[in-house]
Amino acid sequence: MLIKNIRFLLIIVILVSFNLNAEIIEVDFAYIGHEEHPALLGVKQGIDESNLQGQFLNQKYNLEIISENKMQKHNFTKYIAILTTVKSKELKSLAKELTDIPIFNLTDESNELRVDCITNILHITPSSKMKADALKQWQTKIPDSKANPQSWHYSFKKFAARDLNKRFKKNYKTNMDDYSWAGWAAVKMTSDTVARTKIINAKNMLNYLKTKLTFDGQKGSDMNFRVTGQLRQLILLVEDNKVIAEAPIRGIAKPPTLESLGILDCSK
Amino acid sequence: MRFFWTLLTVTLFLFNPFVANADDRIFVTNERSNTVSVIDAKSLTIENTIEIGERPRGIGLSPDNTELYVAVSDENKIVVVDPNTLKILREFEAGSDPETFGVHPNGNIYISNEDDAKATVFDPKTGKQIAEIRVGLEPEGVAVSPNGERVIVTSESTNMLHVIKTPENIIESNILVGSRPRAAVFNNSGDIAYATAEISGEVVKVDVKKAKIIKTAVTGGAKSKPKDIILSKDENVIYVAGGRANKVIVMDADSLEIIKGIPVGKRVWGLAMSSDGRRIFTTNGVSGTVSVIDTIKNEVIKTIKVGKFPWGVVIRED
Repeated sequence: MLIKNIRFLLIIVILVSFNLNAEIIEVDFAYIGHEEHPALLGVKQGIDESNLQGQFLNQKYNLEIISENKMQKHNFTKYIAILTTVKSKELKSLAKELTDIPIFNLTDESNELRVDCITNILHITPSSKMKADALKQWQTKIPDSKANPQSWHYSFKKFAARDLNKRFKKNYKTNMDDYSWAGWAAVKMTSDTVARTKIINAKNMLNYLKTKLTFDGQKGSDMNFRVTGQLRQLILLVEDNKVIAEAPIRGIAKPPTLESLGILDCSK
Repeated sequence: MRFFWTLLTVTLFLFNPFVANADDRIFVTNERSNTVSVIDAKSLTIENTIEIGERPRGIGLSPDNTELYVAVSDENKIVVVDPNTLKILREFEAGSDPETFGVHPNGNIYISNEDDAKATVFDPKTGKQIAEIRVGLEPEGVAVSPNGERVIVTSESTNMLHVIKTPENIIESNILVGSRPRAAVFNNSGDIAYATAEISGEVVKVDVKKAKIIKTAVTGGAKSKPKDIILSKDENVIYVAGGRANKVIVMDADSLEIIKGIPVGKRVWGLAMSSDGRRIFTTNGVSGTVSVIDTIKNEVIKTIKVGKFPWGVVIRED
């Protein structure tokens, strides 16, 4: 009887371990910022979606939330990427400290950060200049326009933006905004890269993101980064809670049209 | 050799012209008119328009051709139409946001539920759900192998082809492909499948049983955002709806080399082929038209005005 039981248990153990499959890849992200920030909701949405894909590929994505005042003493070596809402000064010192980890800037729009071309900072959020250029292009069509340039809007539908907006709202009972889109995009482009390339080393990830990325950000095709570390992307012009235009404005921006927005070169 | 092919082509053309029977019809869903256009296959003119419901997209026929199914996405249902009398027979709840579906040889339909990251299996006779299969985000295209052994569901935001074994209705493998896979088609034996990836502008050829990509090819310029895909009856050629390239791209099924681009209407998405392989019908969303392609000449022989944003197309032949 005992032997029978042991044999039965053994079979169960073998079956379970077979099913678990020893080769689960674990990938860790760190978020530095406030718990209440909308960017974090986007990050969480991105993690959820990455795990949905990961279940088919034996990949698991984890998130650790670190408050800004604790980041000095934190050990960041295990992370594939850092996602953050900290401002320019802290961002720079973080980048100096952690040279081999991609650091995603989710919120800071300062132009100076772009011309600095810091090698390990990836700016998901558009610079002030990108937004200003977008508005300028539009004002050549509608001179007195009061449109607001944004990187995302909950009413945006094209490029399957509608689906992302719907999923996000269903999960968090609030609309996806610019910051939550940035958080989502940063996680998704990283996990997409893990899925496709099996890269799990932060330094290799940084290199891949900067040189080989083609990302479907659900607002246009094949997004990638400039030498400045800025994500190439279209800018939405929003008036009365409606997307009224997308910059580059067709017929006004010269090809390659995305390069009509923002800063292209480093300062040196 | 070339002479032989020319002779064969001419012979086929002379002795096997596309003959539409009196009752043959082409059905087209118009996403923004909330209608189905009924085209008479012989005259290639609109003979009727059916009011169907909010945002009709996927469309298909029962294996015996006696029932027409329409996915009415914004009403979360499948509407069943009699393709002869054009009367609505019944309808059933089909999960959240049903988009496209495939009809299995056994009569069951496999539906992609875009909002819910799942595929559902329904018996359209009873309207009962038989199975639910968790897949990736934004499931879209559904392809059923001719022998009914497997079904592929594409998930657009997870970039995968999910190969589902039937009748168990379990996922057998997941094949990671280019960005935004939208549609798939099996070859006759069911061993090979072709799929389109919209954002990466690619066609991918996969070994279904090994779950491996055999070949990947781009479909053309930056505007080429491939959607629907069909295989010729002799399995030598694939036809790909080029989206905003406004072309149907003809590719060699073996090498995936582009043979020709056939200009059609704007934002071409849906494709359907007549059973003799001689005609292809395309839905041109922005133009609001259907193009009729002669597959021997690979040219458009007629353009038919339908409703707003035609989406899916199916041919009912006697």
